[in-house]
Amino acid sequence: MKKIMIDPITRLEGHGKITIFLKDDGSVANVYFQVPELRGFEKFCEGRPAEDMPQITQRICGVCPEAHHMAATKALDDLFHVEPTSTAKKLRELLYSAFYVTDHTTHFYILGAPDFVMGPDAHPAERNILGVIGKVGLELGGAVINTRKQNHWIIQTVGGRPIHPCFGLPGGVSRAINEEERAKIEEIAKQSVEFGKVSLKVFDDVVLKNKVYLDMVLSDTYTQKSYNMGLVDKNNKVNFYDGKVRVVGPDGKELCKYAPREYLEHIAERVEPWTYLKFPYLKKVGWKGFVDGKDSGVYRATPLSRLNAADGMATPLAQEAYEKMYSTLGGKPANYTLATHWARLVELLYAAERLLELSKDPEITSPNIRNIPTAKPDEGIAIVEAPRGTLTHHYITDERGVIKKCNLIVGTTNNYAPLFMSIKKAAEDFIKPGVEITEGLLNRIEMAWRPYDPCLSCATHALPGQLPLEVTIYDAQGNEVKKLSQGV
Amino acid sequence: MKTLVLGLGNSILSDDGVGIRAAHEVANQLSNPQVTVVETSAAGLSLLDSIVGYDKVIIIDAIQTEKGEAGQIYRMGTADFSCTKHFSSPHQINLVTALELGKMLNLAMPQEIVVFAVEAEDITSFSEKCTLEVEKAIPIVVKMVLEELVS
Repeated sequence: MKKIMIDPITRLEGHGKITIFLKDDGSVANVYFQVPELRGFEKFCEGRPAEDMPQITQRICGVCPEAHHMAATKALDDLFHVEPTSTAKKLRELLYSAFYVTDHTTHFYILGAPDFVMGPDAHPAERNILGVIGKVGLELGGAVINTRKQNHWIIQTVGGRPIHPCFGLPGGVSRAINEEERAKIEEIAKQSVEFGKVSLKVFDDVVLKNKVYLDMVLSDTYTQKSYNMGLVDKNNKVNFYDGKVRVVGPDGKELCKYAPREYLEHIAERVEPWTYLKFPYLKKVGWKGFVDGKDSGVYRATPLSRLNAADGMATPLAQEAYEKMYSTLGGKPANYTLATHWARLVELLYAAERLLELSKDPEITSPNIRNIPTAKPDEGIAIVEAPRGTLTHHYITDERGVIKKCNLIVGTTNNYAPLFMSIKKAAEDFIKPGVEITEGLLNRIEMAWRPYDPCLSCATHALPGQLPLEVTIYDAQGNEVKKLSQGV
Repeated sequence: MKTLVLGLGNSILSDDGVGIRAAHEVANQLSNPQVTVVETSAAGLSLLDSIVGYDKVIIIDAIQTEKGEAGQIYRMGTADFSCTKHFSSPHQINLVTALELGKMLNLAMPQEIVVFAVEAEDITSFSEKCTLEVEKAIPIVVKMVLEELVS
């Protein structure tokens, strides 16, 4: 049996190892996906005041600290049985919308766009952000940098600190904004809406007008018919900050809709002997292995699944983009993994529009930003949509509010099973007897995982801050016969 | 000369926090208004945002190499990473690509970037402390950064 390894190891980052075993005839026998475990988080939290959780949990992940800060803050509301003021909720959602604009912008232009703008077979030296800007134009490159920078200013201004906000408190937030700040946020939001529109146009021009790419998006290789999870508001519209979790089947039918406090009735975790990862699945449907279809409890929690799980977007331009997406993809739900990039851009536009709405809200500059909790703490559960999936925080404390137990289901964890299945399907479809294993071919396998943008163990700062890729092919006796490596 | 000392890392993940810890100590021992010290977990494009407008940037971070010994300190220039510059990271771009992007977009990029990297032992256990050898390396790397600042 031959073995192919895709082993993206930075010198510090969590190792995400994809190992593909081949049969003697060169076709795929099996695929494994492994990451190392970060140890001792629960123990680290035990004995600390619950109020520390918004600061601690946001350091788990180098990519989406704002999502952890928000989930933890909402879990504190629940823990201390306090309802935040209306202005506090709006300020939190405002910051969160700015965060979504930055995160989705980064993902699309850094990770999603190079495959399409430069082409999946382009040399890695060109298939990156520099190549994209070289081709699409310096003006757009400047807009990417500027949109991120401006929205980071909003996060810093509202959240009190860049990257790691410090404004979430049980019952509210720590600081109000003034009229001058509000006016600047409104201006940035307007520019972000324009940027969202431009980004959808880039997708339209580059992907949708190219039949080869559109066929690739719609191809069976990148199709997976699993359940879809996403947070929705009371009108079943996509919401990142608050609401109920709705799960819709691959046939479009609602399976369940649950409040954060009910999550354990709906989600269970499967343990496999070959990896530290736990694979969450839908309890009602049950674990049937790594298979799709409505009889399998595997679900996805991604930008695409959020749109699939909802009845629409709560803002007008995003709703228009939502309708266009589904009419092009042949209706709802869309089960095309690569369409996740498109869904992400619809969400980018929604986040910018929501930011604009909130910046113009008459209550947004009110000084009434906190209700002081008076009840005894016991248990708190909260859910937000992190950019990479539904994020659940659950704390149990003693009556002083000291953590006794904490459980987190982070965005990427939801997607471990479907991610693994997407990689396996792509590997099986591309690696065939007699087909030479090239960089382009491996990139097409990577394209199955890129839409999820998995956070493995997120120390993204790690030197050299990139992802060396090594593919080693072994013969049946375990001898190395070929090695492809990039950036190792 | 406007200089930035940038400590990178995760302060609750054992040795991964060495850059943050060292930068914090540099800030304590320094009283030069021309030098800004920042602790961050940022990467890629966010790193680019942080360094724009400075003449010189000194980065302190953790590293793991194949044969390195815990606590070993390396002084590197960005050229040491040039072989990796065309490959994307899982979520972001690497430092060299970020620098190239900054130049491409005519941003005010630093003329000099020096990286002090400390060989890490444990980067997967949650702890606010570094392991013993890495802990011992902190005052040494702090001294090296302070010397670099006066050079």
